[in-house]
Amino acid sequence: MPFKDHTPIPKKEKITVAYMIEKLRDRVKIKVKPNAAESVCDQKFVTDTDLHRPGLALAGYLELFTYKRIQIIGNTESQYLAKLSRQEQKKSFGNILQFDLPVIFLTDNNTLPKPLLRMAEDAGIPVYTTNIETTQFMFLLRDFLEDQFALQTMVHGTMVDVYGIGILIAGKSGIGKSEVALDLIERGHRLVADDVVMLSKKSNVLLSSATEMNKHFMEIRGLGIIDVMSMFGIRSIRYQKRLEVVLNLSLWEESEKVERTGLNHDSVSILNTEIPLIHLPITPGKNITVIAEVIAMNYLLEHYGYDAAKAFQDKVKHHIAHKKEGGEMPKRAIEYFEGDFE
Amino acid sequence: MLRKKARILNEAGLHARPAASLVKLASKFESDFFIEMQGYKVNGKSILGVMTLAAECGAEVELIMNGEDEHEAMESITELFDNKFNIENEE
Repeated sequence: MPFKDHTPIPKKEKITVAYMIEKLRDRVKIKVKPNAAESVCDQKFVTDTDLHRPGLALAGYLELFTYKRIQIIGNTESQYLAKLSRQEQKKSFGNILQFDLPVIFLTDNNTLPKPLLRMAEDAGIPVYTTNIETTQFMFLLRDFLEDQFALQTMVHGTMVDVYGIGILIAGKSGIGKSEVALDLIERGHRLVADDVVMLSKKSNVLLSSATEMNKHFMEIRGLGIIDVMSMFGIRSIRYQKRLEVVLNLSLWEESEKVERTGLNHDSVSILNTEIPLIHLPITPGKNITVIAEVIAMNYLLEHYGYDAAKAFQDKVKHHIAHKKEGGEMPKRAIEYFEGDFE
Repeated sequence: MLRKKARILNEAGLHARPAASLVKLASKFESDFFIEMQGYKVNGKSILGVMTLAAECGAEVELIMNGEDEHEAMESITELFDNKFNIENEE
């Protein structure tokens, strides 16, 4: 069984607020403007993927206040503050500022009165504002944070995109994973990573990529290391791909679990996500490349609702049921040959 | 399964040549061989895997050997680590 003892690699524990803001601007492409305490951003850390709306804390209920999370001030919180007198505003905002908050976001173009921003500045808590609507901003920010703090692991295998399906070719060293991948690249498919594949879990899907070090290098036994991108061009590589099928190559004698009908689906658990697993014994005359393409196409067919094994099974079952009512043995597929002239 | 700590002793760290002698030796044995460093685990029979670690001189790694000839394999591999991967003049 491949990857039975994979271990997650240590997670990132924290990111700085400055880094987060930079990435939100460059990568997530959202506009965030600083309102207070921008200078302390590189000393402030985000450690949690969850976000919090501090409505109750503003109102004075501070038990269980999750102050380590990013605080989001949306329409509700802003309107609540706006209805208070100046004195009450300071008291209410002071309630949350006494904690070491990582950062406060004002969404949907909301603003805070000047005295409150000054309080945040003095407390050293950065405040940013964005034009994006609250729930949408929270979704984007959470998605970004989930990726930053994602569970990751490293596995040994070769990851290829075949007709848009992410296949991880696994198997012992020297069995020919890289050679199969090379053959697939030659046929127009794309390499994600050879030998070392990084898997990150994001909303129950596993996303694969190479590491910074090995990206788009490949080892071919007897030849050494080659650079796939410079040799085959940009179309032969991919930076990331969802892992959809694991193809485990083995020698014939060690493979007992070879599926014959395709009705039973085996799977492997990686980072607690179940991934379909196909055991493929290597025998003389077997073209693994073509089989990898067939696996991808079969996966696509199943995905689009057609399961060949099940269709055939249904046909046989139907025939058996029909036989009891006096049916015959299977006939030839064509009723009348008109003659086949050259 | 055997686990053993080892240290990189040659000055240039685990670059292409030492990595090559390491995977060559490891491939002679039947056992599965993994190298773990700071939580990152790679297959010790794959040259790209070993080079991905980019282990520097003095770095500590854990060798994980699993299979019938694990004792013999572990002994040879540790010896290779102690002999600075049998490389005399590094480029």
